[in-house]
Amino acid sequence: MIFGGIAVFFIAFLAAPLLILLANSFVTGQGSGLSNYSEVLGDKSVAAAIGNSIQVSTTAAVITTLLAFTLAYAVNCTKMCNGLKMLIKIGISIPMLLPTITYGFAIIYSFGKQGLLTKFFGMELFQIYGFNGLLMGYVIYTLPSAFLLLNNSFGYIDKKFIIVSTLMGDGFFRSFINTILRPLIGTIGGAFVLSFILSFTDFGIPASVGGTYNVIATQLYQVMLGSIPNFQSGSVIAVLMLLPAIFGVVFLNYLERFNFYYDGFSVTELPDNKLRDWALAFVSVVTVTGIVSVFLVMFIAPLVTNYPYDLTFTTQFIQQALFSSALLDVYENSVFVAIISAVLGTLIAYCAAIINVRTLMSKRAKISIELFSMITNSVPGMVLGLAYLLLFNASDLKGTFMIIILCNIVHFFTTPYLMAKNSLSKLNPAWETTGELMGDTWIKTIIRVIIPNSIATIVEMFGYYFINTMVTISAIIFLVTARTSVVTSKIKELQHFANFNEIFVLSILIFVTNISIKICCDLVNQKLTSDYR
Amino acid sequence: MLELRNISKKFDGKVVLDGINLEIHNGEIISMLGTSGSGKTTLLNIILGLTAMDSGTIVFEGADISRVSMKDRGFNIVFQDYALFPNLNAYKNIIYGLRNKPDAVSASELDELIDFLELRPHLTKRIDQLSGGQKQRVALARTLATKPRILLLDEPLSALDGVIKETIKERIKAITKKYRLTTIIVTHDPEEALTMSDKVLIIDKGTISQYGTPKQVIHEPNNNFVEEFILRQLQIKRDNIYQLFKECHA
Repeated sequence: MIFGGIAVFFIAFLAAPLLILLANSFVTGQGSGLSNYSEVLGDKSVAAAIGNSIQVSTTAAVITTLLAFTLAYAVNCTKMCNGLKMLIKIGISIPMLLPTITYGFAIIYSFGKQGLLTKFFGMELFQIYGFNGLLMGYVIYTLPSAFLLLNNSFGYIDKKFIIVSTLMGDGFFRSFINTILRPLIGTIGGAFVLSFILSFTDFGIPASVGGTYNVIATQLYQVMLGSIPNFQSGSVIAVLMLLPAIFGVVFLNYLERFNFYYDGFSVTELPDNKLRDWALAFVSVVTVTGIVSVFLVMFIAPLVTNYPYDLTFTTQFIQQALFSSALLDVYENSVFVAIISAVLGTLIAYCAAIINVRTLMSKRAKISIELFSMITNSVPGMVLGLAYLLLFNASDLKGTFMIIILCNIVHFFTTPYLMAKNSLSKLNPAWETTGELMGDTWIKTIIRVIIPNSIATIVEMFGYYFINTMVTISAIIFLVTARTSVVTSKIKELQHFANFNEIFVLSILIFVTNISIKICCDLVNQKLTSDYR
Repeated sequence: MLELRNISKKFDGKVVLDGINLEIHNGEIISMLGTSGSGKTTLLNIILGLTAMDSGTIVFEGADISRVSMKDRGFNIVFQDYALFPNLNAYKNIIYGLRNKPDAVSASELDELIDFLELRPHLTKRIDQLSGGQKQRVALARTLATKPRILLLDEPLSALDGVIKETIKERIKAITKKYRLTTIIVTHDPEEALTMSDKVLIIDKGTISQYGTPKQVIHEPNNNFVEEFILRQLQIKRDNIYQLFKECHA
């Protein structure tokens, strides 16, 4: 029954919208055909936008992968002090708590002609609008995800091999290649693909700092929400946006053959190397300081009279924003959408994971859940949003909070599902049988034993859904209306009025809310873990 | 000869090793025996050069090697879980170090080592295709091929069971005697320590409880710890086996 519900949910809110989108891309005035594709691909501006997207996303992915690898190496394979390692981990995750559209404005206010960092360095470091701004934004945006991926994999690298390699006479580079690079090659490829796809499909950064450098996401936005919306061309562009994800899945499958698995695993001390530790500590501190300093302006600009000309302290803008019902309403909308998405999303992802890991459901059912998870992971937020717009435009869902919530649940499904799956698979497989022998029904065992033993993961899943729903703009930009506007879409609206103080106040609100939720989740988990012990 | 003089080590303010003094003669097999957290693995890592000691001196063949790096000491170790490179087959694992030290062993010596450890039929196998005992022998061959000046074995038998354990035990003894290799074994199993080594070093709470031949340990236990925690285990094991055989013959 649970599987039936989940299957119906994904057929209705994932498969059907995507099929409609695909079908729509073939609909022409004369029936159906490939003419939409030839028309879109023949359009010089679209071709240029695709070329730009590939160019800037590839460059960002290369830089991000290198940086993420260096930071993860510093955290896992050096004897740097633990406090610094913790600071790196915290600093690197800060951008995840903010919407990407804010990154662009923070870059403008940091590196623009009158920017905070421009003043600090005494000169304009580079032209921010276009390629440079996008590149910086994408690197900041994708670095936390790539770092988390690599950092997690580094945790599974057996450091004993470094000692074996050293004892066998390997120099630094051979040792590095054999014991670090070789085991991680699959994950490094994964980090590159992740960074590329995230950059290729992001809308927030190009919306704020793209300037005249058109990328595919802004092209789709212009086609759909321009003066004359073109649903067919929009569908074609959306389908084209799916291509990197397909390429990514194929590439990751290819990289899978390079993964290798250790027989056993044990914790061991690393060999001393002061030069390695100092050099990597320096690189890490510079990177994290660089990231944090870009966002510093976000907290300064709304607290001064007229940034950057009059730097007298004032709380006027904060007060105005906090007492403005228009801004508070969108903030309330955001929190409401985030809470409901997090509650329902966690429930659906947890149930899907239970079915996959803790039941004897048929293999076909389990594969179909995996398939849903793979598809949701591959479909960019903008594409999903557009697919919802096409399918539900004539339905009662149009213009409701529910459509935004459903889109968020589907869009962010993969990670919480994998979290739950991973956690549930580690629990003793005999608990259900034991429960049954004690007279409990299956559902009773789930409630009495399985849920209490995976509550920490449930809290993490909730936190993940909440934070991501608060910061997303790509998934909801085609679905919000004046009544259901959320903070990120309001920021996009305020951009037209160049109202940067309100933009930054709203960004701070999101940041503070997300950080509070993150701390609450961590505290709850700490409490649960200590109670358990 | 390897001499440890007054070795001490603390971790986070907690004393792990306290003034260890020890002499190991060339060609001897020494077992370091102790309970979990006694400091035996830390001492092994200090000898290897992986862990820095807080105070003390290590002298090898008359030279102070306290500040010599792990790589330059010329010692080598077989880890408890073998640490075999999973992307290389058995043979490539064995010859891994020879790329850096091509003259360490001649082709015939390598062949002899492979045959002695009965690895010839398994050379082309992937690591995950080898049994526990075969992995242990591959790891031993890989280490011995680099001709270490001292061989360190971290819990070499803990991952093995039954007959394999006894076979490997004999093989380690035979090979270290054959190459006259100073060998230091870390173990928590008294039976293993007392049957494999020339001398046994019993460590308790970071200090030496007793250092002597297996005979001395059994017949002249130094203190209550050696008697209660080391010998008692063996007595219980012995009595159980006697009882079992008596019942079988009754």
